[in-house]
Amino acid sequence: MGDFFSNLSLGFGVALSLQNLGLAFLGCLVGTLIGVLPGVGPIATIAMLLPITFGLDPVGALIMLAGIYYGAQYGGSTTAILVNIPGEATSVVTALDGHQMARQGRAGVALGIAAIGSFFAGTVATLVIAALGAPLTGLALVFGPTEYFSLMVMGLVFAVVLARGSILKAIAMILVGVLLSTVGTDLETGEERMTFGLPFLADGIDFAVLAMGIFGIAEIMRNLDHTEHRDVVRQAIGRLLPNKDDFRQSYKPVLRGTFIGAILGILPGNGAVLGPFASYTLEKKLAKDPRRFGRGAIEGVAGPESANNAGAQTSFIPLLTLGIPPNAVMALMVGAMTIHGIIPGPQVMTKNPTLFWGMIASMWVGNLMLLIINLPLVGMWVRLLKVPYRLMFPAILMFCAIGIYSINSLPTDVMFIGLFGFVGYVLIKFGFEPAPMLLGFVLGKLMEENLRRALIISRGSMETFIERPISAGLLAVAAILLVIALLPSIRKGRDEVFTE
Amino acid sequence: MSVLHEGSEPSRHRGPVRAPQSLAGGLLLIALAALALWLTRDLDQGTLNAMGPAMLPRWLAIGVGLSGLALLAAAFLKNGDLLERWSLRGPVFVIGAIVAFALTIRGYSFGSFGIPGLGLLVAGPLAIILGGFATPEARLRDLVVLALSLTPFCMVLFGDLLNLPIPVFPQALTGLFPADWSQKAVLRACAAIMAVAAVVVFLATRNRRRGPIDVADHSGRI
Repeated sequence: MGDFFSNLSLGFGVALSLQNLGLAFLGCLVGTLIGVLPGVGPIATIAMLLPITFGLDPVGALIMLAGIYYGAQYGGSTTAILVNIPGEATSVVTALDGHQMARQGRAGVALGIAAIGSFFAGTVATLVIAALGAPLTGLALVFGPTEYFSLMVMGLVFAVVLARGSILKAIAMILVGVLLSTVGTDLETGEERMTFGLPFLADGIDFAVLAMGIFGIAEIMRNLDHTEHRDVVRQAIGRLLPNKDDFRQSYKPVLRGTFIGAILGILPGNGAVLGPFASYTLEKKLAKDPRRFGRGAIEGVAGPESANNAGAQTSFIPLLTLGIPPNAVMALMVGAMTIHGIIPGPQVMTKNPTLFWGMIASMWVGNLMLLIINLPLVGMWVRLLKVPYRLMFPAILMFCAIGIYSINSLPTDVMFIGLFGFVGYVLIKFGFEPAPMLLGFVLGKLMEENLRRALIISRGSMETFIERPISAGLLAVAAILLVIALLPSIRKGRDEVFTE
Repeated sequence: MSVLHEGSEPSRHRGPVRAPQSLAGGLLLIALAALALWLTRDLDQGTLNAMGPAMLPRWLAIGVGLSGLALLAAAFLKNGDLLERWSLRGPVFVIGAIVAFALTIRGYSFGSFGIPGLGLLVAGPLAIILGGFATPEARLRDLVVLALSLTPFCMVLFGDLLNLPIPVFPQALTGLFPADWSQKAVLRACAAIMAVAAVVVFLATRNRRRGPIDVADHSGRI
């Protein structure tokens, strides 16, 4: 317990320095600014804004990136409530009741409760991370290559089960992602694999390039196919602070949402995406009058938004303790950390405690910033939402190009975002979801490395994965999950959860 | 590409294909797997004890190919989604804009033929204006104003404030300014000129464009 407080105070000492406070503020502000644009999710936002953190020291850069992430998340909710265009999967649920509230002239209250719920959830999640960080890091030291490999297999199975649409397609996407990660020089033998003899492919495909192409450029192409229909709320935003009644109705959903979101967020393989759905379904089940849901029930905003934010934060846990990114956003964080010379994993906490605890403390600071920034600035976001897409997307396009060029100063990188953008567009059109592919890509290199090591240790025996108890347990969980997901009755339920 | 167009339209009448989207997806995966297998054909697979460079890619490619085959089979057995409608205009202009940016930002040479490095000053507006035409609703005047105002903003933000190593203007341009001006000074001067140009274009074309639109609007309402 003493450790817990001394660690947190070390963290706050770092996060509350004037420079880092400023960076957290700036990160939240620009994150919200870009994230609020319809059709730009957190992944594209982070990829686009990555270069502006290059000049900073690692601690400052990560604090700013975390701020950008929360800002983008909150910006997505704002768009969902005001325009009914959810920027990403997790804010789909917010759009259901949030937009209805906005149409009833209660947009301010919806935004207010979303911010307050998120802040509460963020506070709890920060404490959870601080409490679990040290013990889980200890766990990581027990893990050998065999266990790491099995854990990543389990994470990928999670991602398959949680992906929308056909399971077969999700599996195919994961395999393609891992396959893409093997492009480039083989680390063990030094031989080039699938590079077409091109020198810029020798180091492999750059993650930021792939992510920007698939989530930034492909999204633009897809949005252009749909004739624009933007339903910006015309009613007044109304007062922002919820009144006593609103609070009475929403404090329990906030508590439950925080709990659900925090637990699901820890799971590897993008568990966080399930939080808002689970919270919404639970609130609807518990409500005295479930018919109010979908017609502007404040519980339908308070619960899922809290779950969303709690999950967004606890998904840092697998990354910071085990070095395994659980979703695409965290994968971008890995990329950002590597650029600043930090390899995420259990050693970060021991070798670099100011960075580790400073970042955790800055998560709380970031949440507070969001509350302070967003409520007074709502009017500005509304105005931004009225910019027509035909002017917005060329600007996004140029920012993407500048952003990706400045990472490596390579014009070929810029061309590759065009190529991957087109690939992503084709995949979307064929009904494949690109997110699992990106996760497969991120975990691919780590998986191959650990697989090789595990097999060298076991002298080429595959049985090592079931002989070692932890590894066997993880693989068993993965197998059970996959079987359950394939059962017809569960599959129907899963489809319902996602279409609701 | 051609497969898509064949598969998309007549699917409703032609019996065997019941899920064109799965058919196309399956073919794509099989093609990808075949490409990966072909590319790794000369590499050593090694043994489980000492994995060679080709071991993992080859098995992954086989996995991708099998998923593709399963999707292909499903396309004939189960009813599924039709292919969505697509347009070529969006991807063509968006990719065109990206390639134009990539070619002009630092210059590029294809053997004897070369493009000089023109920097953000040219690459930025090129990307915005070319990319802007990806939508049929594009208006040249709006795009020009956007390009002339966003580019100086980015030049100052990335080149001046953040000091990113991004070429901002063609080297030839320094000759136009007094010799003792620093790179930063030239950058700021260029940005200022562009910003002024944006305002001028905006003001000069405002009335002319508004007139006819207003008329159309009124006549539409009556």
